Amino acid sequence: MSTTSQKHRDFVAEPMGDKPVTALSGIGEVLGKKLEEQGFDKAFVVLGQFLLLRKDQELFAEWLKDTSGANARQAASCSQCLTEWCDAFL
Amino acid sequence: MPVFIEDPTEFSKEQLRAALISHNVELPPGESRKEVYVDLYLKHVRNKNSADFSSDDEDLEEEQEEEADMVDLGALTDDQLKKQLLRYGVKAGPIVGSTRALYERKLQRLMAHPLQSRVNGTRHAAKYSDSEVDEGEDDEEEEDDEEEDDDEEESGIGYKYTMFLSNIQLQLHILPSEPATDILMELFPDTATTPTGITATKRRSIKGAAGRPVKFKYTETPLSPASLERREIQQHLLPLWVQIIVFLLVAVLLCFIYILMEDGLENPFSAVLDSLSEQPIPDQLTLITSSQDVSTSETVAA
Repeated sequence: MSTTSQKHRDFVAEPMGDKPVTALSGIGEVLGKKLEEQGFDKAFVVLGQFLLLRKDQELFAEWLKDTSGANARQAASCSQCLTEWCDAFL
Repeated sequence: MPVFIEDPTEFSKEQLRAALISHNVELPPGESRKEVYVDLYLKHVRNKNSADFSSDDEDLEEEQEEEADMVDLGALTDDQLKKQLLRYGVKAGPIVGSTRALYERKLQRLMAHPLQSRVNGTRHAAKYSDSEVDEGEDDEEEEDDEEEDDDEEESGIGYKYTMFLSNIQLQLHILPSEPATDILMELFPDTATTPTGITATKRRSIKGAAGRPVKFKYTETPLSPASLERREIQQHLLPLWVQIIVFLLVAVLLCFIYILMEDGLENPFSAVLDSLSEQPIPDQLTLITSSQDVSTSETVAA
């Protein structure tokens, strides 16, 4: 991914703290709502799922597509964002 | 059991019956014809043997288990699922409620296309070097390593071979228009040309690559950080002595010069200054007095 969105850069720039799930790049309001309905209300809960999948971007993207109905681009963006966050802060 | 090599129709009824029993196949009713046995044999025994080359009896139970898994992944326990994934070279994370469905699907995919999971296989060896590894591919490569330890050498050889082949192709392509674009000759001016255009170049040790100096002895034992530090200090020891001596020498020299300069400042310059400052005083006085004289005489004249 050569270009990253502003949202991506904002998220990767600092510890996620208590940020909502919509702070993740690729997760807008609609997807965020769907995730919240399933208990993934904070970004760190989604990170937990990402870590459960051993930081496997492919699997995580698939999971995101299943749970929130994200498209491939959104899922890839989100998993890339989490991967970079993990590289920086984990 | 070497029977699967031969044609089952040549077996006697007893042989077929024994084979079927050994494979846990339900026997047809007693008065069945030989064809029925042969059919059953082909269906149950041959299929399994052709699916897996191991013809040992102890493997059969496992195979049957595997076949059962293919049918119903949902019935697997978490442990079994994990083991199955590991068999396909996927190191699964914890299988919990939120991840299980994903792993099941992954396993299904792997069962359907077992080769597609191998990202770094030998197929693209000529195109992609093994050294450049993306973050994402890291895991998969790990998996590959676990997957087939004994495949490693093979793929290594394959890699070299494909590289060799592509080299030949390159050179063959270049040969017809040799004078125009002879990049290889430019790159390797020392290699002698052969009529076929295939040149054998000596492999260089990678230790001297990328501008690193070639040492002929490499320490094999890994050193602890403490001993490395000590060694570093020891290496610095001699230069440090030299440095201190040089520093002292320079310091003494500077001091010497400073003292000399101080003396010099006092003696010659002060003498000159004294001589200069002593002389003009009478002149000035005389000048002043003479000018005063002139002015007084002028005023008088006026």
